[in-house]
Amino acid sequence: MDWLEQELRQALERKDPPPDFAARVAHATRVDSAAGSGRLVRVWPRWLPVAAAVLLMAGGAAYREHRGRVAKERVMVAMRITADQLNHIQARVREAKP
Amino acid sequence: MIGLEREEQTGIDFADLVREHQSMVFSLSYHFLHDRELAEEVAQEVFLGLHRHMGDIKSGEHAVFWLRKVAAQRSIDAARRRKRRPQVALEEVAEPAARAAVYDPLLGELLRRLVETLPETPRMVMVMRYQEDLAPAEIAALLEMPVATVKSHLQRSLALLREKLERRGVGGY
Repeated sequence: MDWLEQELRQALERKDPPPDFAARVAHATRVDSAAGSGRLVRVWPRWLPVAAAVLLMAGGAAYREHRGRVAKERVMVAMRITADQLNHIQARVREAKP
Repeated sequence: MIGLEREEQTGIDFADLVREHQSMVFSLSYHFLHDRELAEEVAQEVFLGLHRHMGDIKSGEHAVFWLRKVAAQRSIDAARRRKRRPQVALEEVAEPAARAAVYDPLLGELLRRLVETLPETPRMVMVMRYQEDLAPAEIAALLEMPVATVKSHLQRSLALLREKLERRGVGGY
């Protein structure tokens, strides 16, 4: 081994990480384990998104139907009011005629 | 809990592995990346990976092999992610006035920075050879390449370093 290799061996000798490194690794593994078990608990069934989509679609259809009914009732009320007013005006016109 | 069961099966304690090999893993990454903070992050990732794979670890020797291999892979990944030039250009590196008989820290720093300028694969080969004192066959197994390629990387890297040092008036001993 020549001088360069000896110098390289010294230049690249092992260095210690910070004193709290092992503690930080232990903490990270605890967090990782907790997150891993949490992930298992939070696993959702495969059918859940499909059921949610069906519910949303059914809910949307029911809401549209409800709004249609409300609009129809409003039109009917408006027509009744208009008819009453027309009758009232017609009666006045008849009374006014000589 | 799973980790404890695995430790009981293999007789290998994860905390002992961290204590025993933290400087090896940290240094592999540090000498490759020349960035203390990033090396700490990589070393922590490597041990976290080991914790997840404790069930696959069969012995202490296997753990050392696994740690070296994964430390090399993660360090190369980190260097690629970092994607930046060396912080100090070669021309800006301080040159030692003369080679001392005892270890010269300035020459050491110059060598570390010269190693840092090598391409990824030969750089990792050099770090494994001179930090870990591994034989070319061991390096070849870790980096999954032919032994002849490892030897070729070592020869070319040494020749390149020697040339750069001589150009700076440091070589010729």
